[in-house]
Amino acid sequence: MGPVLDVVLSTGFLAAILGVSTPYVLAALGGLLAERAGVPNIALEGSMLSAACTGALVAGYSGSVWAGAVCGIAAGALLALLLGVLHLYLGADAIIAGIGLNLLAAGATSYTVFALLGDKGGTSRLHSGALPSVRLPLIEDIPGVGAVLSGQNVLTWAALAATPVVAWLLYRTRFGFHLRAVGEHPEAARSVGIHVHRVQFRALALSGALAGAAGVFLSMGAVSFFVTGMTAGRGYIALAAVFLGALRPCGVFLAALGFGTAEALAVQLGNLDVPSQLVSAIPYVFTLLALAFFAWRRRRASRTDAAPAPLAGPAVLESP
Amino acid sequence: MDKIRILGAVAALSLTLAACGVSTDSDSTESGKSGKLRIKFVINGNLGDRSFFDSAYAGLKKTEKDLGYSLKVVELGSDRTKWSSGFEDAASGDDYDVLAAGTVDTVGFISKLAPEYPDKKFWLFDGSVDYTGRSGCSNKCANVYSVTFKQNEAAYLAGFLADKLVAAKALPGGAGNEKVGVIGGVQIPVIEDFVVGFKAGFKAAGGNPSSGVLVQYVGGDNPFGDPAKGKQIASAMYGQGAELVWPVAGSSGLGAFESAVAAKRYTFGVDSDQFKTLTDASQRQTVVTSILKNAGNALYLAAKANKAGTLAYGKPAAVGLAENGVGYVDNTNFDKLVPAAVRTELEAQAAKVKSGAVKVPSAF
Repeated sequence: MGPVLDVVLSTGFLAAILGVSTPYVLAALGGLLAERAGVPNIALEGSMLSAACTGALVAGYSGSVWAGAVCGIAAGALLALLLGVLHLYLGADAIIAGIGLNLLAAGATSYTVFALLGDKGGTSRLHSGALPSVRLPLIEDIPGVGAVLSGQNVLTWAALAATPVVAWLLYRTRFGFHLRAVGEHPEAARSVGIHVHRVQFRALALSGALAGAAGVFLSMGAVSFFVTGMTAGRGYIALAAVFLGALRPCGVFLAALGFGTAEALAVQLGNLDVPSQLVSAIPYVFTLLALAFFAWRRRRASRTDAAPAPLAGPAVLESP
Repeated sequence: MDKIRILGAVAALSLTLAACGVSTDSDSTESGKSGKLRIKFVINGNLGDRSFFDSAYAGLKKTEKDLGYSLKVVELGSDRTKWSSGFEDAASGDDYDVLAAGTVDTVGFISKLAPEYPDKKFWLFDGSVDYTGRSGCSNKCANVYSVTFKQNEAAYLAGFLADKLVAAKALPGGAGNEKVGVIGGVQIPVIEDFVVGFKAGFKAAGGNPSSGVLVQYVGGDNPFGDPAKGKQIASAMYGQGAELVWPVAGSSGLGAFESAVAAKRYTFGVDSDQFKTLTDASQRQTVVTSILKNAGNALYLAAKANKAGTLAYGKPAAVGLAENGVGYVDNTNFDKLVPAAVRTELEAQAAKVKSGAVKVPSAF
């Protein structure tokens, strides 16, 4: 256990957690917005992938990482809007259309990369660069904390900031109120004059943009190039975090952080004498345990709510 | 409403299929009449990996000029669900004499198709069919030539070199650590063969592989195309005291080179000379050597033997160091980073492996 504890308590591990969690947090918050607006956005993976590809390509050709990041995020939003068109206007099933869009993103990105660079593997020959890391002049001198917080990518900070922003948007703004109303009961929302589709479109655009930021982090933060299929299922894991987090910004953030921690732990433990299959199962075991825990808590909560009612009800009525 | 819903879904899906559909690249179509032997190279993936398939393609391409073959390439893409039908389509045409395919993933397809088309020849590289007739081929694969690579032999030399370099603290600017790391894509026999060979070589050079060799696998949904994870693993290895890291994980490995630059440490390449193929100058400087599986050379030799009528169908073949089927790269960077004494020792080991004096353990 000694070496395991050393690893887990090291500042490098804590710093790695933040980096690994960044795409999960961003994409999961995106998934949350769409889900709360009543449109399951299973195309998070596709948004991430197209954003990762667009970001690296634009940055490589324009020479500006910021132009790349903006275009990448826009590409993510665009894919989500396409889901909106297919689902809201054409009436396609959101899940089927979402899967279709994920496949479209996989095919279109590798095709585009090949058409532009003649390379089917990725954009590594294009020196697209990465978004800058943020150094914190005073904090980086604090032992322990400095090594964890300083030097993180700017998008990692964006992910940390996005959680309160999304919470504020959902619970403190008129738009958020409409968004939740549309998600809860579209007919009721329509009856009071809310333009349901318009709200859902905006939610999807934001959702895709957040997933896009997650994709941009992968190709312009975690590494500095795009490789076909490099999102490797992270969009689906983010979707799991949306539900694991009970559809609340804070919960979703913690769930995504949990997935990031499990993955970072798997990476660190892989070098110790732990079987690789066991290590790679960690994130999934974590999901199952968390889901079981939440189900158990909900059941206990509903039991304690329900149990006193039949007993207390008549007793109160009969006694004068 | 239902019609529209279906239409929407169909539109989305058909766009996708168009985008990642099977592409056929016909290099020559008229060859059947001219009496040339026609090779059809069916790729369960895509060209452009700048390593394995590209090497095979280069070797086959060379047979056109040197040996008078004609070549047709069919790329099936990375979607496994399309491979089976892709192979059946490719085999059913009458536009080929030899069907070439690679990797263990295609063994099942070849075993099924070879008995169905007994007049055709099948070349399988980096995988072997079952010639006993107990499983797979019903005709004991009498028309199949399969060749595997003794990657364990080349990996043995990599392990030997790695230990010599770290033990002598020979790498300039190194931190004096005595560990090295190997990143595998996923724990399957062909990757394990690299790991087993590497550890054996590390031990033969005097190192202790159980404490000195860190091994980890990328795994997940896309083990050979997840560079972010490859980079995390490499960073963790450098953080735990690895002096050099050897990624054997396709495109995931590209992340490891970025990590090496950040950590100011070293790497080995795999499958192609990554000192040449990497485009970033600072990443290239980290590549001490690359371990090669020379698929192109193996196929070229097969084509040559086939033309002479000496190619051994119906039994498995394996090429190693002695046949130049696998090897390591000795280039200017190798010259710069590897001390002359270590080079001499390495060359002596290579000679021993070639002559059979050293038997390298295998994962198969």
